[in-house]
Amino acid sequence: MSASPPHRGEDLFALLGLAPTFQLDAAELERSYLERSREVHPDRFASAPAGERVVALQRSMAVNEAYKTLKRPVKRAEYLLGRHGVAIGSNERLDPAFLAEVLELREELAEARQAGDLPKVTRLEKAMKGRHGAAVASLGPLFARVEASGGDERARALADAKTTLILLRYLARYLEECEAALDEDAA
Amino acid sequence: MLFQIAEPGESRAVEACTQRVVGIDLGTTNSLVAYVADGSPVVIAEDGDPIVPSVVHYDAGGAVLVGRTAEALAADRPRDTIASVKRLIGRGLRDIEAIRGLLPYELIDDGRMVKLAVAGRDRPVTPVEVSAEILRELKRRAEAHLGGPIEGAVITVPAYFDDAQRQATRDAGRLAGLEVLRLLAEPTAAALAYGLDRGSKGIYAVFDLGGGTFDVSILKLVEGVFEVRATGGDSALGGDDIDRALAQRVLGEAGVALDSARLVRRAVAEARAVKERLSADEATVYALELDDRPRLERAVSRAELAAVMQPFLDRTGRACRRVLKDAELSADDLDGVILVGGSTRSPIVRAYVADVFGKPPLCDLDPDQVVALGAAVQADVLGGGEQKVVLLDVIPLSLGIETMGGVVEKLIHRNTTIPAGAQQVFTTFADNQTGFDIHVLQGERETVDACRSLARFQLRGIPPMVAGMARAEIAFLVDADGILRVTAKEQTSGKEASIEVTPSYGLTDEEVERMLLDSFEHAEDDLARRNLLVERVEAQRILDATRHAIATDDGLLDDDVRAATEAAMAHLERVAAGTDHLAIRAAVEALDLASKPFAQARMNRAVNAAMQGRRLDEVEEELR
Repeated sequence: MSASPPHRGEDLFALLGLAPTFQLDAAELERSYLERSREVHPDRFASAPAGERVVALQRSMAVNEAYKTLKRPVKRAEYLLGRHGVAIGSNERLDPAFLAEVLELREELAEARQAGDLPKVTRLEKAMKGRHGAAVASLGPLFARVEASGGDERARALADAKTTLILLRYLARYLEECEAALDEDAA
Repeated sequence: MLFQIAEPGESRAVEACTQRVVGIDLGTTNSLVAYVADGSPVVIAEDGDPIVPSVVHYDAGGAVLVGRTAEALAADRPRDTIASVKRLIGRGLRDIEAIRGLLPYELIDDGRMVKLAVAGRDRPVTPVEVSAEILRELKRRAEAHLGGPIEGAVITVPAYFDDAQRQATRDAGRLAGLEVLRLLAEPTAAALAYGLDRGSKGIYAVFDLGGGTFDVSILKLVEGVFEVRATGGDSALGGDDIDRALAQRVLGEAGVALDSARLVRRAVAEARAVKERLSADEATVYALELDDRPRLERAVSRAELAAVMQPFLDRTGRACRRVLKDAELSADDLDGVILVGGSTRSPIVRAYVADVFGKPPLCDLDPDQVVALGAAVQADVLGGGEQKVVLLDVIPLSLGIETMGGVVEKLIHRNTTIPAGAQQVFTTFADNQTGFDIHVLQGERETVDACRSLARFQLRGIPPMVAGMARAEIAFLVDADGILRVTAKEQTSGKEASIEVTPSYGLTDEEVERMLLDSFEHAEDDLARRNLLVERVEAQRILDATRHAIATDDGLLDDDVRAATEAAMAHLERVAAGTDHLAIRAAVEALDLASKPFAQARMNRAVNAAMQGRRLDEVEEELR
């Protein structure tokens, strides 16, 4: 029984023995994760020399990290995007019309929160959840395009995926605010 | 037999097949040690009693007593008799503000952690040292039982314990001379004891209401991997609170002020006895001798106890619902619920749990033993036994770093599977800056003052550069025990920078080493003194019992036996004032012998009474 240490930036799909694709079968992902965890968990190396114990610890940590990232569709998509060499910066340009709409929705939420109008907050949250879900669902076809094409077509598909992922960040933050508003009242 | 050769500098590897390893439940109220014999776990009992009360007594002569003997001294020497130290371990005074007024100890805060001023010590003791005394006693028992040194131990901790509390528990193990193979979450241990790892899959809730801590965890088993999916609870909620609330209610109503530590202890002990009796009976009597007024007697019904318990149960219920939410599950998804902790013997608690989870809980195993049994199972695995399952734990509270304006930036979130890691890069903000101050925190809140301070790091030795050029990467690594390690590296120069660690509530390595040395130095004196105290407690116990027997059954004593018994009592009293523990033991035995005919006569009467249609337990009660 032995394990080699993970190297920095080791491919998360490779760590779990999976092909790098967006369309992952959730059950298969979990199976691979549990199998790898069994192999590398530090408990299996409890009476091994210190060096091996450290390696097991690092491996196990990397496997946990890989699973955490790959099981969430948005995180998986962001990771795949980076794998194709496309990064999402902290100051990305957005479609001005979308930006204006988000700002307006935020104001509406802030007002409802201020007024303690919880039914309204719940309504806004529900509407946004629908929109968020639709955006997440659109990632599948987008990455199918990325994976099926090459050259300019792939670059365009990647750009579209990137736009969707940036949009998703805004939507996720909005949902966090809804949750905070509802929590605030519960406390 | 398999042999593994130890590498130089490695203390771990020894004969794989003959390792003596144990599982330890270091509980708030009681502690137990267990091991695996012929494939199944058993608790180690001494004189038929597997429980070591988690009570440590410090004597003016420097000796230390643990367990039942220490418990017997609690009423007379409350300040020097530490119970429920688990509530203090790894904590600062600020953390225990809520319970401070109820503790009869002299607490000292040196800014980092709680310490206790006790008799016979020129410096205050830390909760780590107190816990180490309990572990030493368990180790001694296990070594006596297994006939050789203990090579390693799995110690259980509440799943809810934060880093400081885990670190402190590990230090206590080290201090007791134990190699801590793993800190195991108590709910996981419980599931192992129930053999749930033998099934193929399932989702279980573990409801653990002990003396001083409450935990609820959701465990998921899939294909040989046991995963703690979510955990929650309250590290300052337990059966002790119920006992105190009941005592306060009864005494408050009678207008008795709980103004002495001794009275509090006795009042609470009676409340606990009442609570335990109400597990079997629908009603009982709370009875307490008072110093300056008549004996207090008051009927308590199970319904009234249930009312006293309700606010505490409601707190457990909220934690149960939250942990289900964290695990993204509903009660219907559960395959079973396991009960752990002495407080779950209560039918009131069982009914409540059944109601919250919508199914009757599993309670085949003794809820006091289940955690120790599971720890033994895991110790056996880690000591070279067959590996059946892998246990994946989660981190109970988020870990983060202080950023500008006293805000906490979380690096590893609550309920992340461990081992886990995270990195954060810091850049310098001034020209030629050669160091950083880094403040590590644990907790769910957003601000520094609402989280638990774990450590402050000073990162030094960065080469002077223009502001923003030097980049220091701080890496967090949480190991399988849930303990955080931090490393730092300056990236531009590639140099490993020096790091100074000052745990906020914990012991530095030097402190642990000094304590170890201290305990070796005093070991011999302490042993002699300890023997003396044990015999004295025993002497007092038998003197009290004999006096009580004479007072109640004077008529059964004939003159010869009376003379012999009284002479033996006088002799024992004299010897017990001296310092020869062997002489005391001999005098105890002499008194036993002298009073034997009397004891026989009382027993005969008891048997006769039983024949006359009275219940034997009533008679026994009378005899006690």
